[in-house]
Amino acid sequence: MKGTDETGSYVADADFHTLRQALRRMPTPEPRAGFVERALARAAAQERTTGALLPARLGRFLSRWETWAGAALGAAAAAAMALILLRPFDSTQDPLPQLALTLHETRNVDVLIDSERELKGATIRIAATGSIELDGFDDEQHVDWQADLERGSNLLSLPVVARTAGKGELIAVIEHAGRTRRVAVELTVIDPKVSRS
Amino acid sequence: MQRMAWLKRTASRTAETSDAVEFARLLRDHIPAFYRAAYRWTGAVDRAEDLVQQLLLRLYPRLAELRELDQIRPWALRVMYRIFIDQLRRERSSPVQFGADPVVDDDVAAGEDEAWLDPGPGPQELSERELTQERVLRAWEQLGEEHRVVLAMHDIEDYTLPELAQIMEIPLGTLKSRLHRARARLRELLAEERMVAADRV
Repeated sequence: MKGTDETGSYVADADFHTLRQALRRMPTPEPRAGFVERALARAAAQERTTGALLPARLGRFLSRWETWAGAALGAAAAAAMALILLRPFDSTQDPLPQLALTLHETRNVDVLIDSERELKGATIRIAATGSIELDGFDDEQHVDWQADLERGSNLLSLPVVARTAGKGELIAVIEHAGRTRRVAVELTVIDPKVSRS
Repeated sequence: MQRMAWLKRTASRTAETSDAVEFARLLRDHIPAFYRAAYRWTGAVDRAEDLVQQLLLRLYPRLAELRELDQIRPWALRVMYRIFIDQLRRERSSPVQFGADPVVDDDVAAGEDEAWLDPGPGPQELSERELTQERVLRAWEQLGEEHRVVLAMHDIEDYTLPELAQIMEIPLGTLKSRLHRARARLRELLAEERMVAADRV
């Protein structure tokens, strides 16, 4: 007996039924043991190391990451590295190689990243050593994530806490297409009680 | 000037934990179904796991949207389908390719030209005895990925054509055409399997 299925094709009813049943009998494995929990944990962990640190604009970029990553890698390999200049940024003075903080003081240190062209998927790594820490990252010496830099000036405000008296370094590293630019700012943490005595 | 905001982790840690718990609560029960679909589409355990992992990575930042959904599964399947298609396109443009029949869509709504759509005489009369699991599996593995998707979703998982058109984001006519071609191709492959089996006898 023949009929018309919902695609409009003439098929033998029995044949269509038989084929469909055969497809449904095909074995399909369940996820391997532990896969569900591992996959959920990875999704949350990925967000902690990227999205949670990033503004919404970069978060949206990351959601597209998987789509364009392959093409971007190819394109980046062929392109010349753009000149990136990093310097500590202070709107009232010339760039300072050194900054002074009072013990326990929290201050935003602005880092200006000038890029001659747009850089997709640059890796930004921030490290704080010695007497200073990044506010909110007490147990981690460095934090890195990926972001796209616009052509021109990109300003990154880093909250730094002066934990102990002495010297510290705030280091910013930008990596793109196998090239790296690094700048270190020295910070001196002063304990007012000690300096008065 | 682009200001790149820096969010304090201390302020967000508690929220991250509760977000992870809620994300797991919303998705956990659906993951086996996503996995089964991914396995049927890809035909391999590793690729299925990778596809589901990519899906979860894509969904986590969209937790706010997930909370508002009445039906998570079709929405998530649509996202997974887009990821899968993107992967296929990259694989097809790379020197190393996975074997697949290229999908040739014809936007003619199936049923408008029944003579053209009728696969004609040939491998239609399939007996249950002939459709051994082994033969069906071999034919399935030879199908193009996009044919597998439409057959898996419609003929195995019972999504309706309108639902499937939404998931795959293609017009209904194109979908009907693709489903028809997928079935016809599967019949061809099964017929080839039948001939191979006859040669072996």
